[in-house]
This record gives sequence, C-alpha cells and structure tokens, in this order.
Amino acid sequence: MEKSHFTVNGKSVELEIDPATPLLWALRDHLGLTGTKFGCGIGQCGACTVILDGNAVRSCQVKVSRAAGKNVTTIEGLSSDRSHAVQRAWLMEQVPQCGYCQSGQIMSAVVLLASNPSPRDSDIDDALSGNICRCGTYHRIRKAVHRAAELARKEEKGA
Amino acid sequence: MTKTGNHARNEQDPQNLAPEPQSTGGTTRREFLGATIQTSGAFIIGCLINGKIQILEAKSQTPGETKKLPLDAWVRIARDNKVTIVVSQAEMGQGIMSTLPAVLAEELGADWDHVQLETSGANVAYRNPRINFQFTGNSESTMSFFELMRQVGASAREMLIAAAADKWRVDPSACYAEKGMIIHRKSGRKLSFGELAEAAKSKPIPANPPLKQQSDWKLLGKPLPRVDNPAKVDGSAVFGLDFKVRGMLYAAVRNCPVLGGKLKSIDRSSVEGLPGFVDVVAVPGGVVVVGATYWQARTALDALKVTWDDGDGARFSTDTIMEQYRQAMAGQDWLLVREVGNADMIQHSYPNVRLAAAPDKTDKVPARAVDSYANLYSGEFESQFLAHAPMEPMNATASVTSDGCEIWAPTQGQELAQLMVAQFLGIPKEKVAVNRTFLGGGFGRRLIADFVLQAVAASKAVGKPVKVVWSREEDTQHDVYRPAVRNRITVGLDSDGKIAAVSHQLVSPSILQYVAPSPLPDNYDPSCLEGLQGTRYKIPNVRVDFHLLKAGVPASTSVLRTTGYGPNIFATESFADELAHHSGKDPYDFRRDLLRDDPRALAVLDLAAEKSDWKKPPQPGVFRGMAFTEAFATIICQVVELSVSGTVVTVHRVVSAVDCGTVLNPNIAANNIEGGVAWGLSAAFKSEITFAGGKTVQSNFHDYQVLRLSEMPRVEVYFVDSGARPLGGTGEIGPVAVVPAVANALFAATGQRYRSLPLSRHGFQLRASRETYAQ
Repeated sequence: MEKSHFTVNGKSVELEIDPATPLLWALRDHLGLTGTKFGCGIGQCGACTVILDGNAVRSCQVKVSRAAGKNVTTIEGLSSDRSHAVQRAWLMEQVPQCGYCQSGQIMSAVVLLASNPSPRDSDIDDALSGNICRCGTYHRIRKAVHRAAELARKEEKGA
Repeated sequence: MTKTGNHARNEQDPQNLAPEPQSTGGTTRREFLGATIQTSGAFIIGCLINGKIQILEAKSQTPGETKKLPLDAWVRIARDNKVTIVVSQAEMGQGIMSTLPAVLAEELGADWDHVQLETSGANVAYRNPRINFQFTGNSESTMSFFELMRQVGASAREMLIAAAADKWRVDPSACYAEKGMIIHRKSGRKLSFGELAEAAKSKPIPANPPLKQQSDWKLLGKPLPRVDNPAKVDGSAVFGLDFKVRGMLYAAVRNCPVLGGKLKSIDRSSVEGLPGFVDVVAVPGGVVVVGATYWQARTALDALKVTWDDGDGARFSTDTIMEQYRQAMAGQDWLLVREVGNADMIQHSYPNVRLAAAPDKTDKVPARAVDSYANLYSGEFESQFLAHAPMEPMNATASVTSDGCEIWAPTQGQELAQLMVAQFLGIPKEKVAVNRTFLGGGFGRRLIADFVLQAVAASKAVGKPVKVVWSREEDTQHDVYRPAVRNRITVGLDSDGKIAAVSHQLVSPSILQYVAPSPLPDNYDPSCLEGLQGTRYKIPNVRVDFHLLKAGVPASTSVLRTTGYGPNIFATESFADELAHHSGKDPYDFRRDLLRDDPRALAVLDLAAEKSDWKKPPQPGVFRGMAFTEAFATIICQVVELSVSGTVVTVHRVVSAVDCGTVLNPNIAANNIEGGVAWGLSAAFKSEITFAGGKTVQSNFHDYQVLRLSEMPRVEVYFVDSGARPLGGTGEIGPVAVVPAVANALFAATGQRYRSLPLSRHGFQLRASRETYAQ
C-alpha cells in the first residue's frame, strides 16, 4: 500500500490504499463522498464525472495514484447550500427524475461553463453527450445549462 | 423547502468531506403521535441516525367504522405542528414522493412547507388498494392511491375540525382548514393543527369526509417543485448504492454467464489471501466475493476461478429463440382472448380456443369464417428484447442476524422482497424488514428481488451486513428482459376503405410471471396483451389470438417500462398508418373517423394535430408521423418530425398531447412524458439485447446503446384536463406511441415500411438534432 495525497473539495487528504484503485471508489468508499456515482465502470456513461484540476474526468477511469498532488472537486464541493449557478439552474428547470446521473451531468456542465460562458447547443452536445440520463431529462438539461450560463453571467456583472 | 424524506441515510463517515448533511427534519422521539387514531409505537423506517427500525402494525382502533383507514400509517401530526406524511411508493424518478403526499396534504389543509416525509417499510397498510399488494409499477400509483390519499387527508382534517368545533362550541361546518390551521369562518378564530392534535385523536374517523373541489386546490394542478430535487443536485440523495451501515462489507457478483446454468465449483485458493478478501459465497444465480471495500471485492472477483454447469442453455441464440416465435406464429396453437362482433370474419385455420375452455383444444375450425373484403391486408411486426439499464446498477444491503433480517434496497417490490427473503431464510415475514432507498431508475427491473436474495445469502454466510453490487456487465447480461414480441395483424377493409374486421395474433413469452401476486393460467398473461384487449377505435369485428411462448426462451423476461403496450401499439399504430395509406386517407383523418363517437379521444388527437401543425406542410425535407393510443388509463397522441439523409435520421421535434384525467403536477407529468420520448427513441433506434451460446451478447453502454443528449429532439407536451377518473399514469405512456410515430414518419420520408425494431437493424442511425434546436 502506498499513500496517495491529493486535495478534495479544498481539503487535503491522504489515503493508504492500492494506488490502482479507481478514484471513484476512493471517493465513495474511503472518503464517504457518495454523490459521485458508479454507472458503467468503463467511462461510457459519465455518472462518475468529477473535476480534476479543472478538467471533467470519468473517475472510474482514473487511478487514485493519478490524482496525487492534484485538486479534485466533486458534487459535494460545488457549494454547501446548492448556490452554485448550475445547481440553481437545475432546480429552476426542475431537471432531475431519478437523479442518479445528475451529479455527473452537473459536473460536466460546470466544466463547460468555466471555459465557455455562453455555450451554443452544439457546445452543450459536445460537452454532455458523454453523460447518459436513462430517465431522459436531456431536454431540461439543455435548458438548464443555458439558464446556468445566464445566471453566471449575471453574477459576473453584479460582482 | 428541505423535504427529502427520511430515506435511508448513511452513518457519518470517519473522513467525510461532504458538507454536513442538510437536516431532513428526521422524526424524533419527542414527536407527539396523534391527531389520528393509532398512537402506539413510533415507526421510523430506514432511519439509522434515529435508531433501530420498527415496523408498523397497521390496525384500526375503530372496529365499528365502515371504513377502516389506518390513518396513522399515513399521517401524523406533532405538537410542534409538524405534519409527517408517509410515502408508500418507490421514488424512481416519476415524482411520486412529491405527488401523492401533496394529494394528502391538499385535503388535510396542511402547510406544505411544514410537511415532512417518511419512507414506508414493507407493510400491508401500504398495499396498492386495487391489487392488494405492495409494489410500485404499472404506472398506477396515482390511479390506485389518489382516492385513498384524499380520504386519509380529508378524514384527518375533519377530526381536527371536530376538535376545534368542540373547543369553540361551534358547528364543525362553520370551520375550515388552511395552511396548518383550523379556522372559524365567522369569527376568524384559529387553532393550529398541533394545538388540536391530541383532542383530535379521540374523534371518530368519518366514513365519508367531504372532499375538496378541484377549483379549490392549492397544491394540486400546480407545478409544485419536486421534494427530492434539492438532494439530487447536491449529491446528498441516498440511493441503494450509497447506503451504509456500520460494519458493512461489500460483495461483487458473478452470475452464471450462460442463462439458466448453475454454479458447479469454486476454487477458493484463487482468491484467498488477496487484499481485503473476506469470503467467497455461492448465492442464488451465481457467486459473490465479499471484501472490505467494493474495489477489493471486485478485484478478487476478477481473479476468482469457478466452473459452471451450463445446462441446456448454451445451445440458445437469438436465431434459435426467434425460430420458436416463427413456428408459433405459423402453428395452430392459439388462445382466443378477445372477440368483438363476429370473431370469424377473417379466415383462419386454427380452432377457436377460449381461455375458459383452454384444456379442451378440440374446437373445429368454424365453417363460417369469411374473408370477402374489397381489400385484405396483413403485416407482421417484431419488437426486440430490451434491457432496463437503469443508471444505478442492481444492488442491495442486507444484515442477517439471529433476530431476523434487515434489508436496505432500491426496490419497487418491498412486499415481494420481504416474502422472498422470508422464504429463503425460512423465517416469518415479520422478521424481515425491507427499507427503501432512492432508486436510480427502476423501469420495472426493481420489482424483482433476485439481487436482494444475493445480499441476504452473503450476509448470512459472513455474519455481517453486506452490500452486494452488480457491475454494469452483470446488470446488462442478467437482466430480466422485456421479451421480444411478434405481432401479426390482418385487416379487411370494405369498399369505402373502412375497417370491417381485424385479427391480431400475438406471440410473446410471459411478462407477469415473476411479479404476479396470484398465479396465472399457464397459457395466459394479461400484461402481454395490453393494448389489444381494448381500443378507443370503433371497429365492428375484432379477434385477438395469443400464443404464450414457454419453451425456447432461456432468458428471464418480465415487465419493462411500457410492458405489453410498447410492442403491441408499435404494431397496431404502424398498421393503422398503413391502412390509412392503403385507403388513400390522411392518417389523422383516418383516426378521426375511427374515433368519431369518442369526444375524449378526439380532443387529444385534435390537440396533437393542432400543436404539430399537422394540416400544414412541414419544412422541405422534414416528414411527420403520428400515433395515438390509450395506455395505463391515459390517452396520448404523438407527432414526430424527422428528416432522413441516406440512413442517417434526425428527429427534430416530438409533440405529445396527453389526457390522464387530471394532471396533479404539470411539471412532473411533463417531465415524465419528455423522458418517455427519450426512452421510446432509444427503443426505436438503438437498443437491442441478443443472445449467442446461451449468453447475452451486450454487456455495457458501448454495445447496449441508449439515447444521448445530442440526439434528443425538441419536445413539447400538452395536456387535456378531461376530469376522467380513475386517473391515468404518466410514467410509461410517453414511450408507447412515439415508436410507431417514428416508424410512420420514416415511411413518409422513405416510402418504406419498417416493421421490426430496433431501426438500427435496417441500417438507420440517429444524428444530433442540434441544428434545429435554436432557441
């Protein structure tokens, strides 16, 4: 066992686990961050999406050793009160049904908006088509991403 | 509002980096249990932070009452005005934990902002009143519980009013309930529910409490935000996979790869000593490796050597299975399940064997069968095997002790799970507590308790709580599939191009076999026949013949979102379009004529035509298809707009007009229909399960394909409030008509009929719809 040091949601952590353990299971079973979901295990569904040094990654495909020294943000780290623009937009558009995929959808949207504050539909397609929603909330996800962009732009202005 | 309900919650993790969980206002021991009838025994379901789970014994305290409503099973009012409403139906995305409590709260006159929710255990009090079995499915939670929730809420309200009227020495009819207060109309005096709760509990439960007029509804019919959404955007919602109990171990599963095979032997030495390894256990369906963490269990499972006894299954493939369908369709073994007018109006070579006379198959082919029509058309349709593929793979947590067994599972079938576990362990069902978590999709898969039994077997073997987690591969390859279905339709048209007689023949394996609360005849399954047992269309002569396929399908088959309606309506509504074409009529006008005496159906059909601009030509290169049906007591008409370039299809827009009687929450109902469109497009274009060498070929989302965001069309949903009762469901209707509407639009675009699914079989693929999505 080796020790892996990295930062999760702004807190530094040290895990003494098999370095080949996927980041997904390190987050869920060792750090108690169960908002990040297991869906497919092969990077096909996006339910496990987290932010690793600014990039949206499928945490089922990232060995915990690869996170060493890096910053990981999970759904729990977006805000303590659902105040992140994407979370607010998700609530305003009443996006979730079963909700299982939504952590991953939200994290993909957060990364998209960080680099593209006014995404077109095609940008949303490119950023979120790796996130499956089996309930089929895609129509609302698309609306919510536009809404989040609008909220974030307003925040920017107000700041 | 933070009203996430006290679904099973996790104990605090030692190194939890999540913010402190938002308070769910969990039930506390200080709560005054009153206002209704039963006061004995708090029941706190699946709530570890509050202690041990207790199961309610539902009983009425008023044996003389004609209606024995176990009110306290559903609603409790505390001195601090907190109203607790119990959610009996599994929340799997359909919004039922918002909708039904709002029905109760509406009648009660509760302050919705101070209502808290509690998740039910497995208990007879929560049985579906129509079927007398506790489950969530068949799109019937609103249908079956709407009146009961109103009765419960109204009864409790009348008892509170009676208590207030006593105190004020006024007539109860002079008082009303609003926002958690009982108010005397004339004087404006008020008492809160909490102040009245103790006095109210001794009041008799009214037999026929007055119910609110729809025009007085404050919560229903409004787009009330879902109560579960806050927890679903911050990661705090606890699904089965997220649930933890102290001392819990994890298990990874391998089911016997060949369907119907069994475990022969385990080479324990292949895994002994691996990091975190705890045990390897034979369980129903296969084997599990138990480990300290999931990843350790999974890694050990990958190293595990087992031998299987494949049994007969290995010789089956999709080809051998579908050959059984073809032989059945060509054969003489039919059960006549529906007759309208003269069942022998279309020539047939097999006996008229009716269900009641099923054992006697000696009926001769009737001599009077006729087929003298201006035109006779026949077509065969095939729908594919489908997997449920919910985003949350199958999982369950079980703790077996000498006292009994406790389960925490994302389940649609609490009672079935309880009964199966009791039988498996050989203990009374009262010793099996089944707690429900959030479900990461259900779609019918989670009615069945196979995954629960595996957790029970593992926990029993290791003497500790165990969470069993299926990989996506296990979930895909060991699903209980929606069976492939073959339909043949033969229709005689008269000289005016009108339908004179219809014959349906249906070949399908059983759908209800694992989930029927009471046994079925061995040649009959009403779920397979959905959509064929009745239609809104006026057709003078109809017969429906059914062949329940038993041999030849090694895969388990059961209910999947749309059940029998999906494949049957694909066939009938595709064929309706064909008949319209043959008789030279517009498909909308053709249906209008078939519905001419049915104003409720016409309103839906006309609304869809209006909103889709059916009578105006679409943009050049864009083609429309329509389909109409009644399913799950809801009427729907959907219009699809698509364009085709070679084999590449772009679905631009789907318009749905829906009449489910009365919409209780337009936001939730619309989301269900929108999502249903996505589900239907997956089934129409992309998804298919096939078999080879007795195994399921597909294993994960790379080869079991489902709709992606880029392929989602613009969706519009319109409701008709007909006021019809019973209420219809909105969970499964969305995908039903969109599939034939797609096939009909494809015909409009290509001039070709596509009668088998998925359309990928015919080389079609979906393309991103974004170019038409400009906002």
